Amino acid sequence: MTDIYTAVVDISHGPLDPTAALDFVSDPRFGGIATFIGRVRQHNLGRAVTGVSYDLFEPLALRMFQDIGERARAEVGGPLKLYIAHAKGDLRIGDLAVVVAAATPHRDEAFRACRLAIEAVKHEAPIWKKEHYVDGDSAWSEGCSLCEEHREAERQAVKQHGDAHGHGH
Amino acid sequence: MKVRITLFGALRDADSRGYIELDMPEQSTIAALREALQHHVHDHAPPISAGLVQRSAFASEHEILHNHRTVPEDGQIAILPPVSGG
Repeated sequence: MTDIYTAVVDISHGPLDPTAALDFVSDPRFGGIATFIGRVRQHNLGRAVTGVSYDLFEPLALRMFQDIGERARAEVGGPLKLYIAHAKGDLRIGDLAVVVAAATPHRDEAFRACRLAIEAVKHEAPIWKKEHYVDGDSAWSEGCSLCEEHREAERQAVKQHGDAHGHGH
Repeated sequence: MKVRITLFGALRDADSRGYIELDMPEQSTIAALREALQHHVHDHAPPISAGLVQRSAFASEHEILHNHRTVPEDGQIAILPPVSGG
């Protein structure tokens, strides 16, 4: 489907390009574009971060981005162009980690599609982040389980505690 | 059959080659593979917690494979620890 663009970008070949995302989704039919840009930040959970490394299972990640796009299309129930790109490799503070852009006739569907896509990328796509700290230590981030039994357990925990998600990301 | 399990994220630390190979009976389920991998990791990579293998999903290049599914015929599979993209 040419209305959905998906990519994994090896950061050693060049950065993510938000302008390319806007160019891709721009269309005379669409008056609203919502974008989300995720950047590497300096601190996490009180520790000073010097950079992160992203590991991806690329073929499955690309399939999932496409599936997420189809779900976003079903959610808005009308015409949509969607761009999803995620970085791979070693990133420094301020580097772009993920770019999502959604364009639709009006703003409400654009915001909804963009939100659905970034949340799904964060919680469902086979991507892993390792943080590197000032003291030379590094650690894989705690993440969301894709295992069905554990996803169910996490959903139950969210219901009981009433927060938006089982953990803080 | 020989099953090659490609490692990602925190599970890469279980084997520096980036994969673990296990001998499994033909038509093994993902649940059986998970159990065999837990034993292997317990014996060969003790710093990796058993809970991490429990919380991980298995997948082909095409889809997530839940516990009741069988191991792909080509013996190629990936194990996906909890994800943290974005």
